[in-house]
Amino acid sequence: MFKSLNRRRSVLAGIALAGLVLPTSACGGTTTQSAAAPAVVGGLAKNCGSGKTFTIGFAQANNAEPYRQRVNADLMAEAKKYPQFKVTIADGQGDDNKQISDVENFLTQQVDLLMISPFEAQPLTPVVTQVYKKGIPVIELDRQTVGDQYTAFVGGDNEAIGKQAGEYVAKTVLPDGGDVAILQGLTSTTPAIQRTQGFQEGVKANSKIHVVAVQPADWLPDKAQTVFDAMLRAHPSIKAVYANNDLMANGAYLALKGQNKLGQVAIIGTDGLPDPAGGDQAVLDGKFAATFVYPTGAADALALAKKILVDCATSVELNTVVPTTLVDKETAAKLIAAASS
Amino acid sequence: MTTESTQSEPQAAAAHRAATEPATAPSATAPSAIAPAGPGRRRFPLIDVLVRFQSLLGLVVVLIGGLVFSPRRNGTVLFLTVDNLANIVRAVSETGIIAVGMTFVIIAGGIDLSVGAVLGLSGVTVATLMVGHGWGTVAAIVTVLIAGLLFGLLQGVVSTVMRIQAFIVTLAGLQVANGLARMVSGDKFININYGHGHGLAPPSFAVLGDRLFGNVIPVSAVVFVLVGAVALVVLNGTRFGQHVFAVGGNERAARLSGINVRRVKIITFGLCGLAAALSGVLDAGQLSFANPNSGTGYELAAIASVVIGGTSLFGGEGTVVGTVAGALLLGTLNNILQLNNVNADLQLIVTGLIIVAAAVLQNVAARRRAS
Repeated sequence: MFKSLNRRRSVLAGIALAGLVLPTSACGGTTTQSAAAPAVVGGLAKNCGSGKTFTIGFAQANNAEPYRQRVNADLMAEAKKYPQFKVTIADGQGDDNKQISDVENFLTQQVDLLMISPFEAQPLTPVVTQVYKKGIPVIELDRQTVGDQYTAFVGGDNEAIGKQAGEYVAKTVLPDGGDVAILQGLTSTTPAIQRTQGFQEGVKANSKIHVVAVQPADWLPDKAQTVFDAMLRAHPSIKAVYANNDLMANGAYLALKGQNKLGQVAIIGTDGLPDPAGGDQAVLDGKFAATFVYPTGAADALALAKKILVDCATSVELNTVVPTTLVDKETAAKLIAAASS
Repeated sequence: MTTESTQSEPQAAAAHRAATEPATAPSATAPSAIAPAGPGRRRFPLIDVLVRFQSLLGLVVVLIGGLVFSPRRNGTVLFLTVDNLANIVRAVSETGIIAVGMTFVIIAGGIDLSVGAVLGLSGVTVATLMVGHGWGTVAAIVTVLIAGLLFGLLQGVVSTVMRIQAFIVTLAGLQVANGLARMVSGDKFININYGHGHGLAPPSFAVLGDRLFGNVIPVSAVVFVLVGAVALVVLNGTRFGQHVFAVGGNERAARLSGINVRRVKIITFGLCGLAAALSGVLDAGQLSFANPNSGTGYELAAIASVVIGGTSLFGGEGTVVGTVAGALLLGTLNNILQLNNVNADLQLIVTGLIIVAAAVLQNVAARRRAS
């Protein structure tokens, strides 16, 4: 019960970022803007330079989600490349009040740089602003606060991810066309809306493809199984299904299995986590035709931290959009191997 | 405050013991229970003191731990900075206020699981009244507080009149309040922006998120302390407070001695609902934001504070000071662990162990009284 509530809340949070977060649309890339913090003359960080050690506090929204666990793991793994950084992670436990306390504690500890994935945008904005105004650089990861009181943002682009999935289906999975279904996440959340929109845009690359069914399954595998089971009965002609996340893609797999239709419908997911229960393994096992990585941005965030803290940069990219990766059988093996090493 | 408690608590405790002992421990003789500790029976009066103020002592221990284990920078003990101490009180203020309300219900032998959901409901209601309907700050807050009080009273009425266990009634209340919260908010969160005009909340509401005395002491912390003080007076300085102890200690005896048991119980639920509503208003004010699912799980944090504070879940005993200290203990402990970058999983485990330790101390005390 708690899990599903958490999930729902975190998903609600998605709405907040959505409008604000992803400024560029279709193509991945970076926009460069000067982002000099007001309190600092010269560099973005008061305390910077080579030969020093720095503490970086990462205020995570909620550790109890597979994607966020992957962010944490990536961040700690990437941090090993920077011996001068000491990274600590605080778990916001899907509660604004808890995450505010976490940020306040980082402030008390006098961290040199704050990284944060705000659980919800507006509630976390004042405390993040407070940190930023004290001259401590703030890198926002995946989700943003309201306004511009931060040093840099790193995240993925949901619409671009959906579009790439659509184009993949149009060109590679069903070059001769056919009927396609979409399993949507919670429809009140922006990632669900944007991924679906992007996909519908992407499949237009092939005029012989028809999207015959679009239904929400609220990000949940069990719900996706029920929904897709009904879809298959209503439209036996479905040749491919696109799910807004890998959990729902797994639900679609179970529905196909139940109807003895495995192999007759191509499943395309989103998230592409390299964990044993993640989408990459499902692709490797042949359950999914492909999935698209929703990037953690950990490497980019730490590279920015190095520019700010070690190189004493006076400006960095304000918004870094991390491009997605197509996961097919070949790349899946590589990604899993890379993550476990 | 302290004089209040030392004067009246023995009365209440004595009344409650007189009411309880014959029923629960027929083998014990009444005089021995009421008489002051004899040297033969009570070899370790220190233990009784320790148990009575277990959470206060626990808090002292944790504070000392904070001093010892605090990270230092440039000679400053980071734990002891005014900002940090204020942050601790702010962090526990919402669950703390609920815990104070919960103390009344639990002492009277009940439980209230609906408080977290009532917090969420109150938050979205106060936000909707101001943002959606242009209400003023005071009118919106007072309306929500009254609504919370009524919600609690209603649960009390259902529980006592229909003779349904408080656990069940308030479990249902949790669902109802969460459903109402979603309905009121249209299942969306509400951003509270300040100003004058349509869709904006009056700027005075933002005061709840402010800090006083040179931008140091959070308003929510002040409210928490005030709520604790008022509750202390009500529980230990009024007839109603004595009745709460009596009802929780032995309902039958309380009824026979002329106490309107039903009324006392209903009022405790009302107070708890009021506390939850106040927390909801504070939550919305502090965050400038209301989410129908805010407060999820807060009932458990509140109950944990009450139990650590030495209040028995069987009813009949407990203190407001203990509950407040229990809440602060949990907040301080989490703060120290976080300042030392101990991961969150361990924080949960340590909290669990402290709850068990508090319950064990309780049991020891209960057995000593019974023997």
